[in-house]
Amino acid sequence: MANNFQFLDIPRQDPNKTPADERIHQFKEIYGQFNPTAAGDQAGRCIACGNPYCEWKCPVHNYIPNWLKLIAEGRLFEAAELSHKTNSLPEVCGRVCPQDRLCEGACTLNDGFGAVTIGSIEKYITDEAVKQGWRPDMSGVVATGKRVAIIGAGPAGLGCADILTRNGVKAIVFDRYEEIGGLLTFGIPPFKLEKEVIKTRRRLMEEMGVEFVLNTNIGKDIPFQKLLAEYDAVFLGMGTYTYMKGNFPGEDLPGVYDALPYLISNVNRVLGLERRPADFIDMQGQRVMVLGGGDTAMDCNRTAIRQGAASVSCVYRRDEANMPGSRREVANAKEEGVQFVWNSQPVEIIGTDKVEGVKLVTTVLGPPDARGRRVPEIIPGSAEIIPADRVIIAFGFRPSPAAWLAEFNVQLDTQGRVQAPANGTFKHQTSNPKIFSGGDMVRGSDLVVTAVFEGREAAQGILDYLEV
Amino acid sequence: MRLSRRNRIPVNNIDKLPSGLYRPSFERDNCGFGLIAQMDGKASHWLVKTAIGSLGCLTHRGAIAPDGKTGDGCGLLFKKPDDFLRTLAQELGFTLADHYAVGMVFLHQDPSLADAARKQLEHQLDREGLTVAGWRRVPTDSSACGSEALKSLPVIEQIFVNAPEKSPLPPFVKGGGESSSPPLSKGERGGEIFDEASFQRHLYIARRRTEKAVKNDATFYIVSLSATVIAYKGLVMPANLPVFYPDLQDERFASALCVYHQRFSTNTWPQWRLAQPFRYLAHNGEINTIQGNRYWSMARSQKFATPLIPNMDDVRPLVSMTGSDSLSLDNMLEALLAGGVDLFHAMRLLIPPAWQNDKTLDPELRAFYEYNSMHMEPWDGPAGIVLSDGRYAVCAMDRNGLRPARYVITRDRHITLASETGVYDYAPGDVVAKGRLKPGQMIAADTQTGQLLLPDDIDNQLKARHPYRAWLKQYTKQLTAPENPAVEPDMDEAALFVQQKLFQVSFEERDQILRVLAESGQEAVGSMGDDTPMAVLSRQHRPLADYFRQQFAQVTNPPIDPLREAIVMSLNTCLGRERNLFDSDSTHAARLTIDSPVLSEGQFQQLLNLNDPDYAVQCIDLNYTGTGSLQAAVEQVCANAEAAVRSGKVIIVLSDRAITKESLAIPALLAVGAVHHRLIRLGLRCDANIVVETGTARDPHHFAVLIGYGATAVYPYLAYACLRDMVRTGEITGQDIAKVLANYRKGIDKGLYKIISKMGISTIASYRGAQLFEAVGLHDEVVDLCFTGTTSRLQGTNFADLEDDQRQLARLAWSPRKPLQQGGQLKYVHGGEYHCYNPDVVQTLQVAVKSGDYKTYLQFAELVNTRPIATLRDMLVLRDNIKPIAVDEVEPIEAILPRFDSAGMSLGALSPEAHEALAVAMNRLGGRSNSGEGGEDPRRYGTEKTSKIKQVAAGRFGVTPAYLINAEVLQIKIAQGAKPGEGGQLPGEKVNQMIAELRYARPGVSLISPPPHHDIYSIEDLAQLIFDLKQINPQALVSVKLVAEAGVGTVAAGVAKAYADLITISGYDGGTGASPLTSVKYAGSPWELGLTETHQTMRANDLRGRVRLQTDGGLKTGYDVIKAAILGAESFGFGTGPMVALGCKYLRICHLNTCATGVATQHDGLRKDHFIGLPEMVENYFKFVARETREWLAKLGVKTLAELIGRTDLLQAISGDTAKQQRLDLAPILSDAGVPKDKPQYCTQARNEPFDKGELAEQMVSDMLDAITHQRGGSFNYRVRNVNRSIGARLSGEIARRHGNQGMAGAPISVHLKGTAGQSFGVWNAGGLYMHLEGDANDYVGKGMAGGKLAIYPPRESHFKSNETAIIGNTCLYGATGGKLFAAGLAGERFAVRNSGSTAVVEGIGDHGCEYMTDGIVVVLGAAGLNFGAGMTGGFAFVLDLDNTFSERYNPELVDLHRIHTPGMEQHAAYLRNLIQDYVDETGSQWGQVILDDFATVADKFWLIKAKAAKLEHLLGAPRVSIHDLITPVYVAAASAAAAEVR
Repeated sequence: MANNFQFLDIPRQDPNKTPADERIHQFKEIYGQFNPTAAGDQAGRCIACGNPYCEWKCPVHNYIPNWLKLIAEGRLFEAAELSHKTNSLPEVCGRVCPQDRLCEGACTLNDGFGAVTIGSIEKYITDEAVKQGWRPDMSGVVATGKRVAIIGAGPAGLGCADILTRNGVKAIVFDRYEEIGGLLTFGIPPFKLEKEVIKTRRRLMEEMGVEFVLNTNIGKDIPFQKLLAEYDAVFLGMGTYTYMKGNFPGEDLPGVYDALPYLISNVNRVLGLERRPADFIDMQGQRVMVLGGGDTAMDCNRTAIRQGAASVSCVYRRDEANMPGSRREVANAKEEGVQFVWNSQPVEIIGTDKVEGVKLVTTVLGPPDARGRRVPEIIPGSAEIIPADRVIIAFGFRPSPAAWLAEFNVQLDTQGRVQAPANGTFKHQTSNPKIFSGGDMVRGSDLVVTAVFEGREAAQGILDYLEV
Repeated sequence: MRLSRRNRIPVNNIDKLPSGLYRPSFERDNCGFGLIAQMDGKASHWLVKTAIGSLGCLTHRGAIAPDGKTGDGCGLLFKKPDDFLRTLAQELGFTLADHYAVGMVFLHQDPSLADAARKQLEHQLDREGLTVAGWRRVPTDSSACGSEALKSLPVIEQIFVNAPEKSPLPPFVKGGGESSSPPLSKGERGGEIFDEASFQRHLYIARRRTEKAVKNDATFYIVSLSATVIAYKGLVMPANLPVFYPDLQDERFASALCVYHQRFSTNTWPQWRLAQPFRYLAHNGEINTIQGNRYWSMARSQKFATPLIPNMDDVRPLVSMTGSDSLSLDNMLEALLAGGVDLFHAMRLLIPPAWQNDKTLDPELRAFYEYNSMHMEPWDGPAGIVLSDGRYAVCAMDRNGLRPARYVITRDRHITLASETGVYDYAPGDVVAKGRLKPGQMIAADTQTGQLLLPDDIDNQLKARHPYRAWLKQYTKQLTAPENPAVEPDMDEAALFVQQKLFQVSFEERDQILRVLAESGQEAVGSMGDDTPMAVLSRQHRPLADYFRQQFAQVTNPPIDPLREAIVMSLNTCLGRERNLFDSDSTHAARLTIDSPVLSEGQFQQLLNLNDPDYAVQCIDLNYTGTGSLQAAVEQVCANAEAAVRSGKVIIVLSDRAITKESLAIPALLAVGAVHHRLIRLGLRCDANIVVETGTARDPHHFAVLIGYGATAVYPYLAYACLRDMVRTGEITGQDIAKVLANYRKGIDKGLYKIISKMGISTIASYRGAQLFEAVGLHDEVVDLCFTGTTSRLQGTNFADLEDDQRQLARLAWSPRKPLQQGGQLKYVHGGEYHCYNPDVVQTLQVAVKSGDYKTYLQFAELVNTRPIATLRDMLVLRDNIKPIAVDEVEPIEAILPRFDSAGMSLGALSPEAHEALAVAMNRLGGRSNSGEGGEDPRRYGTEKTSKIKQVAAGRFGVTPAYLINAEVLQIKIAQGAKPGEGGQLPGEKVNQMIAELRYARPGVSLISPPPHHDIYSIEDLAQLIFDLKQINPQALVSVKLVAEAGVGTVAAGVAKAYADLITISGYDGGTGASPLTSVKYAGSPWELGLTETHQTMRANDLRGRVRLQTDGGLKTGYDVIKAAILGAESFGFGTGPMVALGCKYLRICHLNTCATGVATQHDGLRKDHFIGLPEMVENYFKFVARETREWLAKLGVKTLAELIGRTDLLQAISGDTAKQQRLDLAPILSDAGVPKDKPQYCTQARNEPFDKGELAEQMVSDMLDAITHQRGGSFNYRVRNVNRSIGARLSGEIARRHGNQGMAGAPISVHLKGTAGQSFGVWNAGGLYMHLEGDANDYVGKGMAGGKLAIYPPRESHFKSNETAIIGNTCLYGATGGKLFAAGLAGERFAVRNSGSTAVVEGIGDHGCEYMTDGIVVVLGAAGLNFGAGMTGGFAFVLDLDNTFSERYNPELVDLHRIHTPGMEQHAAYLRNLIQDYVDETGSQWGQVILDDFATVADKFWLIKAKAAKLEHLLGAPRVSIHDLITPVYVAAASAAAAEVR
C-alpha cells in the first residue's frame, strides 16, 4: 500500500548534482539521473491534491500527479505515454523549465515540505523509457495524405510536428541550422541540456515520420510561395531573435557582446560545428560582467565560468527576490563562482577602444507598476565604476519577423508579433487562412514550454482546418 | 399547469401551491397508534372510553396546527358496536336485516354533490344485490374543530346496508384460494349458512365502483363500509374526538375491539380522509418503498385473478397512487383479503421479517417467505401496524423494529397494545403480562375464540399450509456460474478505446473508481464536496445518470446501516414470470434466482444459454441509425420489447454493446425506464424481466438508476472489459482477473446496499422500479416517456439534447485522434469540468484574507460571481432596473455578520487549531461557530473559543449535559450535504488521546457514526428529541439541519411543527471529511431548490414566521448571500470558505489525515509546523463578504437584509449559454407559490415553544432547585404517566449549569417515582441525580446519560415475572457517557447503542444490543436478540445464555466471546457478581437474586463479550477518566439573551 505520509517521511531529494568545482571544467549536464527507486520514492511524495496546482500552473497542463503516481508504481512506459499526451518535449522541459516558478513553485508541498521533484522525474520518464525501448505508439495512426510545412525546428515547430504526425498528417520541418531544436540546441548551454537529448528526440520524431529539411533558409533557399503552393498548410515557428539593447553609451565598444551570439559560438565549439575558430568568443582569463537577470543571463554567466573567466559578475537592477530567472539557476551560478550585484543598473560602458568597466547606479525598488512588478528607482549620486574586460548583454529578445510575411498577408501587431490568436475559429490561424503560427514569434520571447504548447495547439487548429 | 397534470389528486388543497416546487406527493406522516381488545369479544363502553383516553395519551406523538386546535387527524376503528347500531336503526325507523353493514361516509358540503354521491353509492350497492336500509346524519359538534379543520369539514353520514336473505350472487363462492385459512366468521341464520366474507366482498366491489364513479368531488370519502367494523375519525385532537362525535360518549356505544391512531403530518394541510385508521389498519411509520410498491401493484394487477371477484376491472386500480403510504398499504391489504388471502398471510406477504440472513430461522418458515418473495416485494420501512377485521386484533412490526409497540394484558382479559406503555391506568396488580413486539413479529388476539396468537403460533400456521420447501427445491433454479476468466475474451484494444470514449470512461474513472473497486472490493473514498455543475448546467457531455439525484431518508424515516445491520439486507433477485398471487401451487415456486442483480460474465452467458421456455431470451439492440430521432428510437425499442413479451419471451435483454460508426446508442437508462413503463401500462411487466447489457454502468450509482427504473439485472460488460484491460496493462497488479472481477462486483454490491439503505430500504426487490430519484434538469418529454412519475421541476435537457450529446460523443469516439478523456469530474483538470473551488479561486481568496485587502477580495468575488454558469443561482441575476441607494443608508456590516455561521465541522475532521481559530473568529464577529459532532473541550466553554452552536449528530460523541448547556443553539444534524443518509467512521489511527477524551473513547479505537439517529425514526421522534433538548437547556434554540432533496420543504414543515427554532437546508455541494465518492457526486439537490421549496411550503403552511431558515452549500461571496436571502434564507452557513481562509488548499485528502495545510489533520507535525491559519483571516473573510453584501444591498435599494428575504421580484432568470441551460424553466424557483404577500417572509417570533409545557418537570425543578443550588441532596416523590416525557432532563440541565456533569455526584438527590414514565426517562442524566421508578418506562431511557443512577423495577404488587416482562423501551442508553442503569425486566431493541461509558444491568434485550458501543459495561441476565455487538469497538458485556443460542445471534465482526468460569477469569466473574449484587440491592429483582443464589452454577452460562481490539486483562483496569468529568464547565450566561435575538 502507498504510504500516505511519504511526503513527510522522505525529504525532497534532487538527483545528484556534480560538485561545482568539478562541473565548471566541463559542459556536461550538472544533474544526474534518478534510479528507479529514487524516482519512485520522490514521485510517491505527491499527495494527489484535489486541486492539482502543478498541472494548473504548467503551461502545457501536464497530468503531473497522474504520471507521478505511475512512476511511484514503477509503470514507466505508461508514464511516458501519459507524459507525451500533453507535451511533445517532456525530457527537454524537465531540464530547462523554471520549475520553481511553475509546477514545483505551485506544488502544495512547496510550502515547507519541499516540492515534489517534478522536473527531474519528468526528465527521468522519457530518458529512461526511451533507453528501455519505449517508442511513441503510432500503431493506430492512419495516414491522411495531407502535408504541412513547418518553418522552424524549435520547440513550437516540433510540438506542431508531433501532433500533426500523430494524426496522420505529414509534417515537413524546415530549419536554417544544421541541427533541429533552434534555441534548444544553440541557445541553451549543454550543461543544462546536452545535445544528445535533442538528437534522441530527432531520432524519435523521424521514426514517427517527421521529415526534417535542415540548413535551409526559407525565403532564401526556398521561396515561401513554393511552400504555400505545395503544402496543405504552413506553420511558422521562427522565434524571436532581435536582441534587446540597453540604449546606453558604450554598447558598441569592442568586448561588448550580445548573449545569443556568445552562447551559439560556445555551443558550436562544443558540438564541433564551428566554421571558423575566429567565430568563437572566448572569456578565458577575462573579467566578465553579464548584464541582465533572466535565464539567458545565467547561461552566459555559467558559460563564461566554464570558459575560464577570471571573474564573472552578474548585474541586475532589482533584488534577488524579484529577478525573472529560475532560482535554481541562480543558485547553481552562485555555486560555480558567479558574483551577483543586485539593485544595480548599468548606465554606461566605460572604455576608450575597448571595455574597461561599467558604470553602475544603485537602485531601490519602488511600488509595483501596472503589471505588478516593482519598478527600480535610481538613488541619485550612487554611481560607481566597476572594472571589466568583457560585457555580455542579456536583456532579452524582441520579435524578428521575416520581411516577406507581409507579402502573404500575415498581419503583425505593433510590436512585430505575428497575429495568430489562440481562440480563433481555428486555433493560431494567421490572417492568411493557410498559415498558422505559434511560439515566441506570436507571444514574444517566452518559455520553451509555452512554445511547445502553442505549437501543439496550432496543430489542433491545423487539423481542424484540414478537417482531419 | 404541470403540477396538476402529473399529480391528478382529487384533493381540495391541490391548488394551494399553483406554482413553485411543492408537490403533494412529498407529504409524510408518522404517528402514535394502538389497539385495545377484550379477548373474549365482550363489548363494553368502558373499552371505548379507554381507547379514547389512550389515544389522548399519545397527543404528543401528533402535531397541532397553528390554530392550536386542528390536529393532523386521529381516529378509531371499532369492532361493529352491534347493539348501539341496532338501537340507532330502530330509533330512525330503519329495518335492519340479520346481517347488515354500516358505512361511515364523508360527503361534500354542497348538498347537490353530496346527493349525487349518495345516489351513486346506493346504485352500486344495489347492483351488488344489497339494500340500503337508510342514511343517518352522524351528530357532530364542530366546536371541537379548529379553523383549519373547519375549512374542509365534510358532512358525515352513516349508511346502513342490509344483506339479502339469500346470497345475491350466484354462485357465491365459499372460502378463498386457501382452504386452510382461518375461516372468516360465518353466521348461522335459520339453518342457512351466511357467508360473511362474500358480503364483505360485495361491499368492497360496490365501494370501489362508487369511488371510481364519483369524480370531481374531493371531499367524498367512504371511511369504512363493513359488516364487521366501523371507523370514526377526524381532524381533531384526541381529547376532542368524543366531543366532535357525541356517539362516542353514548353509554350504549359498546365494542370489544378498537384500533386507534394519532397522526403527525409534515404539513398543515391535513385532510379529513387521511386521518387513520383506514378500513383495516392504522400505521405508525413510513413505507420507504411506497413508490415501487405502487408501481408494482399497478404492474401486477393484471396478474391478479380470482373467481371471488368476477370482474377485476371493477376494483382496479387496487392501490391508490396518491394519498398517504398507509392508505396505499391499506388498499393492498384490502385487495388481498377480497381476493381470498387471509389476514395473516396477507400481512406476511406485505411486511415480511428479514428472513434472508437470519441463521436461526426455521427452514420451513424461510421456505414460506422465499416462496412468497417473488410475488410481492416487501412494503418496507419503519412500520408498526395495528389492524382489525372485526374478529382479530393484530399488531405487526417491520423487519427493523423501528417503531415501538408495547402490550399489556390484564386480568380481565383486555389486551392493549400501543406505541407506548402506560396509556391507561390499569392497576399494577391486575397485569398478567407485559411485552413488546420484536422486529418482524406479528401477534393477534382472536376475539372469537379468546385465543392470543403469539408470533410463533402465526408463523407455524402459515408455514404448514403447503410444502413450500419441497416446491422450492423442485422448481427453483439458481444462476450461479463461478468466475471463469475464459468466458469472455479480452476486448480488442481498438474496440475498447472506442467503447470507452463513447460511454465516457475517462482515465480518472479508471484510476479512481474502477481500479479502487477492483483492488479493494470497496468504493473509493474522497473528501470535500462536489463543486462541479449539475449535469444540465455543464458544458461537458454528462452521462444521463448524472441527472438523477439519489433520494435519502431524513427525519420521516431513517436510513439503515447496511454494514452493521447487514442482517436485514438482501440483493436477492428472482427472474421469471410472476404468477397469480391468489393461487398457491408448486409451479409458483418456479423462478431463477441470483444473489445480486450485478451479473458476472459467467452468469450472463448462462442466462443467455438456458434454452428454457420459462426464461426465453430476446435481445434488443439499443443502437439506432442516426437518421431517426432518439425519441422514436426509444419508442421502437419499447415496441420491440412489447412484441417480444407478447410472443412469450421472458428475459428482455437491452444491449448497447454492438456500437457501430453509423449508429448512435440510446442511453440504456432511457430504454430501461421507457420499456418498464410501457410494460406496466400494458399489464405485461410481470411477465418479463429487463436485463441490461450496457457500457453505461460502472459505478454503484449507475447500477442504482438502472435498477431503480426497472432493470432486474445489469451486465456491465464495459466495466469488465476495462478491468481486464487494466490487468493486462499492469494498472492493476497482484490479483488475477477472476479476483479482480469478483472484487469489483463485491464493491458494486456494497455500493448498492449503501444506496438503498440510504432510503431505509433493505431489499433490492423493494428498490427495483421505486424511482427513488429526483431528476434535476430533465425535460418533461423525457420524464414522461421514460421516467414517469419522477419529480423533475425545472425542465432542461430534452431528447434533442441527449441525442446531440450522443452524436458528439460518437464523433469523438470514432475519431482515432481524439484521446481518452483525462477526467475532471472528481478533481480539477485543465480543459475538463468546471470546479467552483478551482486553483484560481482558492489562491485569490487566500491572498485576500492574508493581506486583508478588500480589492483582492473583490478579484476573488469577481472570479466567483462571473464564473461560467455552474450553479442554478448563476442563472439568476439581479434586475438591472432597480434604483440604488447610497451604501451609507444600508445597515452596517455589524448587523449582517450575526447572520453568518460556520458550518458544522467536527474536531476530528478539523485540527484543534483550525477548529478553535474558527470559533474565535466567529465569536469575535458576532456570528456562531458550530462544534460539529465530536464534542468540545470543556476548557473552551465560556471563553472566546467556545462554539455557540453545539451539534447533536447520530454518533452523539461527547454530548453531555454540560456540553448542551454551553450552547446558544443546539443543532440536530439529520444529514450533511456531501453524504446525506450515510453514517461515518473515524478510523482508529485518527483517534489520538485528545480526540478519544472528547469523544469518550479510547485512543486508537475506530469510532462509527450510525447513518440514522437511533432516536429519530420518524417525525414524532424528532419532536421528542427537540423536546429533550429544550428540557435540558430551555434557553437554547434548537436547530435541525436537513439536506435539499425533493420534498425537503414538506419535511421542514414537519420539523417546524416539531418545534424546531431553526432549520438549515444544505445543498448537495457541502463538504465532508470523508465519504464514498458516489455519495459526494450523486446525492442531495442544490440548495436553490431545497431552500426555495422550504420557504414556499412553510409560507403556505403559516409556519414561516415560526422558524429561522438557514442555507449552506458552496456559499462564497456576498452575491451568494444576496441570492440566498432572496430565495428565503435569513441566515447563512459557510464551511469550505472559512476553511480555505485558514489555509486549506482544497486538497481533498482530509480522509487520509495527511492534510498538508494542517487544517484537517490530527498529525502533530502537520498541525504544529504547517498550519498557518489565524482567526483574523476568517474575520477578514466574513467582513469582506458582509461588506460585499452591503454593497449589493445598496445596489438593490434595500436597507436591511431582512427586507430582502423572499424578494424574488428582484431576481430574473437569464437564458443561459448552452441549449440545455436555455431549456431550463426557473420560474418555480422565483414563484411566490401563490401565497399572499402579507404572510411572513422570515421568522417573527423569538422561539417555537412546544405545546407540551412539561408541567411535572417544572414542578420538580421548583421543588428541587434549592437542593441543587446548594448541593444539599434530598429525597422527593412523584407519580408519573407516559405523558410526562424527558423526566429528569430539566433537573440535569440545572445541575450541569451549576456544577457540570459530575459536580453534584457527592451530594445526590433521590427522586422516587411511581407509574409509567414517558419517553426519554433520565435523558442526559447528570451526576448526582438518582431516579428510582416503580413501574415501567418507554423508549430512550438514560439516553445520553452522563452520571447518576436510574433504577426501574416492577410495582411491588405485580404478579408477572420480571425476566419475561418488558420494562423499558427501545434505544435506551443511546450515547450515554456514564452513570448506571438498573432495570428489572426486558429492554427493547438497540439497548446501549453507542454507549460510551455507562454501566447497565437488565434481564433481557432485543436485537442490535450494544451496537456501536465504545465503552461501558452491559449485563444482560437473559436472552439478547439478534446482531448483538455490531460495530462495537469498546467496553464489554456479560450475557446470560441459558439455552446456548447466543453464539448464533451475536455479530462476530468486531467482538469475541469468552467464558467466565474458566481459569484466569475469576476476577471477571467476581466483578459480574458484584454488579448483580448492586443490581439486586437497587431493584429487588427476584431473578437477580436467583442468579446470585446459584452463581457458581449459573456462571458457566454467561458470556463475556468484548471488542476484539481490547485485551481481556485490561477490561477491569482503571476506568477511563474524561476531561468532561474533571472540569466544571462555565455556563455562558449571555447565551440566553443572545439566543433570543431574532436573527
